[in-house]
Amino acid sequence: MDFLIILFAAALGLYMAWNIGANDVANSMADAVGSRAISIRNAVIAAGICEFAGAVLVGAQVTETVRTGIVDPAVLATLPGITPHDAAVILVIGMTASLLSAAFWLNFSTCFGMPVSTTHSIVGAVAGFGLVAAGWQAVNWGKMGQIVSSWFISPVAGGIFSYIMFIYISKAILGSDKPARAAIRHMPFIAFILTALVLMATIYKGLTHVIKNIDWLSGSRAVWISLALALVAAVVVRFYARHKLQGRENDRIGAQLEAVEKVFVPLVIISSCSVAFAHGANDVANSVGPLAAIVNILKTGAIDAKVPVPLWILALGGTGIVLGLATYGYRVMMTVGTKITEITPSRGVAADIAATATVLACTRLSLPVSTTHTLVGAILGIGLARGLGGINKKIVYSIFGSWMFTVPAAAIMSGILYVIGKLLFFDMVSRIIGA
Amino acid sequence: MRTFIADLFGKSPFGPIVEHSKKVHECVELLWPLMETLVNEDFDQLKSLHSRMARLEYEADLIRHDIHGFITRRSFLPVDRADLIAYLEHQEKIADNAEDFSVILTLRKTIIHPNLQDPFFEYMNQVFQVSGTLLTAAVEFKNLAGAAFAGAEARAVLKLIEGLGEEEWKADKMSRKLSRMVFALEDSETILNILFYEKMILKLGDIANEAENAGDYLRVMIEKG
Repeated sequence: MDFLIILFAAALGLYMAWNIGANDVANSMADAVGSRAISIRNAVIAAGICEFAGAVLVGAQVTETVRTGIVDPAVLATLPGITPHDAAVILVIGMTASLLSAAFWLNFSTCFGMPVSTTHSIVGAVAGFGLVAAGWQAVNWGKMGQIVSSWFISPVAGGIFSYIMFIYISKAILGSDKPARAAIRHMPFIAFILTALVLMATIYKGLTHVIKNIDWLSGSRAVWISLALALVAAVVVRFYARHKLQGRENDRIGAQLEAVEKVFVPLVIISSCSVAFAHGANDVANSVGPLAAIVNILKTGAIDAKVPVPLWILALGGTGIVLGLATYGYRVMMTVGTKITEITPSRGVAADIAATATVLACTRLSLPVSTTHTLVGAILGIGLARGLGGINKKIVYSIFGSWMFTVPAAAIMSGILYVIGKLLFFDMVSRIIGA
Repeated sequence: MRTFIADLFGKSPFGPIVEHSKKVHECVELLWPLMETLVNEDFDQLKSLHSRMARLEYEADLIRHDIHGFITRRSFLPVDRADLIAYLEHQEKIADNAEDFSVILTLRKTIIHPNLQDPFFEYMNQVFQVSGTLLTAAVEFKNLAGAAFAGAEARAVLKLIEGLGEEEWKADKMSRKLSRMVFALEDSETILNILFYEKMILKLGDIANEAENAGDYLRVMIEKG
């Protein structure tokens, strides 16, 4: 019987992951697709690979937050009037209700053409069931505070970082007397930052949960390896830039700028892939975090928070995202590609690096953030640096609006679903878990 | 299907601005053939050229309205919106004045005095230079948006705009000289002819003037941001 519950929860988790793949992934690749650096088909393939890799390699931390950070099973079990056994049952029902509610809310808002964040939906849903199930103390408000403030901070941080990055690119390369020559000098540095960032985020805490016996690849050694590989990437980019730009420093400035933008094309593809990677790492938790909680309880029969997130769960989330991308996300990708026409590769690289850095930093801090909102912040940063022709300011308000609505809506819905689920299934689940 | 990212991007005005500059300059280019048909006293041809001018001016106006449509208060631009609108207004006035000039030619059959023909064409050529420099500056301005208004490209455009001022000053000087020549003919020309010569000179001067004003706004947009 517990197999049936896991299957049901896994199906819900897969469906949430499908939603993420269908609606969100296209945004991660927006800069590469919008600047015509890559075809839609190739963008879908590249995004699929990077999302999956991000989910499996770095997805565990944020999944842990959704699993135990918002409603802590250990705290739930110590609350007066709740036995550890009851707490386990409450969690199984509540996490299922959260998944259902988040999925409902996503579909509802998509129907009405309102883009909302999956992150906000799931965080709201989990907190909502916690409140209804065990009252105010059930929710870890310290963690909730961190999460909600990270929703403010991440777009702002993305914006500041991309502003600095683009001012650097425009002052050092685009605005120099000889952009072609300046690009050969400065582009390796940009490649270095990008590579070091992604590698460090991936291997700093080690990959032991994926590959056995590579304990050596962590900590300070991981930092050195990342830096060394980033140096290699920088050298490769230097040769590439020199090959493409050498001897063009006496062309018209307009022609030089065009040539420099062309050299940014491979970089914007890689940087957009990093955003997809960061997105997979942070957002897979939205689909499989509750699932991980349920599986953990059913397998151990108790609420032991110390067990790491199983790899197969992350892989399931990654697969769901790829499925969503393949069946529906490519259409969103086409919309993004046709609507974004003003971004150039140099701007895309600056925005992507900023978004990747911010999202990966939040991922390392186990904070679920919205990758899309961070990227929007980063693109606004480029706009502030006079890098973009026309940006719709209204979108900023609609972002705030989206999570002002999303968190309460998902919370209320999951509270209601929890009450219904408790009425109908409490005894059944209780028997399955075993006294 | 809507996504935050796709909704975030509006249309950049810099491409359409160059379209507008081109259309306006086309109007100015029409002045020369207009003047030639007047000198050749080919009044049918003059009429058809005038209607072409009217159409071009109308098309320029359409482009300008289109740009106004997407640089609303909601859009966040790398240049000041008010400056951009003022720039377009002055650029539009170039086309307006060119059209007014063609209207003056069609109002009555003005015969250009043989002594005035060459100086008139010379003056017109200078006005044409001013408008042409503005067009070059507008094209470069678009490239400059590509370089985020920084560095070497910005200096190049600012220099071009400086040149625009000088060209306008030359045109001004030529207009005064031409006016003196016109009034020197007061005994041998009809008073109405003299009135019309002066009207034409003033309109051509307005074209150069508006081009300089438009250039000033370009400069402000580059420097201020």
